[in-house]
Amino acid sequence: MRFLVRACAPVAVLALAACSSGTSTPSPASPGGAAPLTLTDGWCKSTDSMPAMSKEMTGCFGTLVNTTGKELKISGGSTDAAMMVELHETVKNASGQMQMQPVPDGFTIPAGGSFALKPGANHVMLMKLKGDLKTGDKVTVTFDTSAGKGALTWEIRAFPGAEESYVPSPSNS
Amino acid sequence: MNHTTRRTAILSGLAGLGGVAGAATLAGCTGSGTDGSGSIQPPAGLSGPSARARAFRGARQAGIVEHPQPYAAFVAFTLPAGTERDALRRLLTVWTDDIERLTSGRGTLTDLEGELAAVTARLTVTVGVGRRAVTVAGKTPPEWLAPLPAYAMDRLEARWGEADLILQICADSPTTVAHAQRRLITSVEPLADVRWVQRGFREPFEGPGLPMRNLFGQVDGTVQPTLDGADDEVLFVGEAGPQWLREGSAMVVRRIAMSMDTWDKVDRAGRENAIGRRLDTGGPVTGGGIDAPLDLTRTDDLGFTVVDQAAHVRRAHPVTPHERFLRRPYSYDDAPEGSAVSNSGLIFVAYCADPVRQFVPVQARLAELDLLNIWTVPIGSAVFAALPGARDGEILGQALLS
Repeated sequence: MRFLVRACAPVAVLALAACSSGTSTPSPASPGGAAPLTLTDGWCKSTDSMPAMSKEMTGCFGTLVNTTGKELKISGGSTDAAMMVELHETVKNASGQMQMQPVPDGFTIPAGGSFALKPGANHVMLMKLKGDLKTGDKVTVTFDTSAGKGALTWEIRAFPGAEESYVPSPSNS
Repeated sequence: MNHTTRRTAILSGLAGLGGVAGAATLAGCTGSGTDGSGSIQPPAGLSGPSARARAFRGARQAGIVEHPQPYAAFVAFTLPAGTERDALRRLLTVWTDDIERLTSGRGTLTDLEGELAAVTARLTVTVGVGRRAVTVAGKTPPEWLAPLPAYAMDRLEARWGEADLILQICADSPTTVAHAQRRLITSVEPLADVRWVQRGFREPFEGPGLPMRNLFGQVDGTVQPTLDGADDEVLFVGEAGPQWLREGSAMVVRRIAMSMDTWDKVDRAGRENAIGRRLDTGGPVTGGGIDAPLDLTRTDDLGFTVVDQAAHVRRAHPVTPHERFLRRPYSYDDAPEGSAVSNSGLIFVAYCADPVRQFVPVQARLAELDLLNIWTVPIGSAVFAALPGARDGEILGQALLS
């Protein structure tokens, strides 16, 4: 019977691990209550292995979660690590290539919903980086939202993808 | 009870308690969808250990006392010139996160192919550091964290030599091993460079009546420390070792080429005489089953000892009680090179608290005299310190970097 006990324990531990799968960082925007905006599995592409010409900007990915009962809009953000923070979408241009561009109206997360940021799709860009984002470090980005400012912390990870070309102005402007 | 039997007991225990169903349920609860970033429910037909993830957190790393999974990759890395302590911290931060995710059936943070992580297949990833990494961290390496003495039979090739870091990646599925290996290499760009990769396998159907056999057909890893705690001081670094390595272990990785062509010329009696064990049962040539004690003094009608004076088991037999270590070997059978028709051997992996005290005396005896040396040649050798485990809130190497 000793073995039955041993066998059962890891399963219980795993259940916990899997259900809290994300590294979730709360926003401090509403002290005392749940932060309106949280981030699950957030990461930004590191620049320490990029060629010098690519080091100016990088993308951030993960799942944004609106913990409030109202629609939440994100209009922009700021970070100590870069001069500018932009909210981007990736679209196909006239010649059929994928390119990224700022979204004019920001990101909108439905009440209690989430918003996925992925390579090749919607994402956050840190522009004019002040220095390398190093693999294994973290970076904090503060977002301007309809529920106030919310700071989110992202892991910095090496990633070979997310090399879409960048078009600074929205195609519909 | 040997660990084969114990593993079987665990499996039957799981089945009896519906553990498999539990594992399947938990995989669905992260709700990240099927975009590769979240958990995927293992295929319905998959049951038992393959659907079960392992606990990663703990005082000791996984992958040492667990029964060896059938597929393994040993990946050694060098740290770029000028690497500083903070870079090592960042590297171990990334690996800790990656390994925790992979061993719980999730892709790594950047993984676009999380489906390949869904079948954990008892995945364990064990991280070790070489002498230079310890120095980079600002700590003093133990004396044993250095190349083993040179032995007369060695034909060491630099391409399988010492390195700054090692990952031992083991699982029941070769796909799981390959995916984990790929993710763990790419995730630490540009903090470490791959020095060598050794891929190994054991009998996937290993179990009661079907022991680990090397490619000479010999039952391997027969004599082992007990793994239930009684031999912990043999296996893990204790108070005598550096504080940053408590509950860690020394890890010796030697690549032993086995000459299949010359071995094929030997008859069965000659093969059994070389090792001192029967090929069929793995029991000593002096009689009894696989767990029977060796009778090193018994003689035959002509007055010769039944166990040859140069037999492997006689030479490897501990002379003092501390000459013991955990053998966790894997066979390799890689593509032949040049005009050879085989490229086979053994990735000899040993864990112990202090290899100079526990392993080197045995190795020295084997180098001096061992019939197996006729057919085996060490071509690679490296010594690492397998780090203590990462407890809640810690990274691997937390004490090393503190």
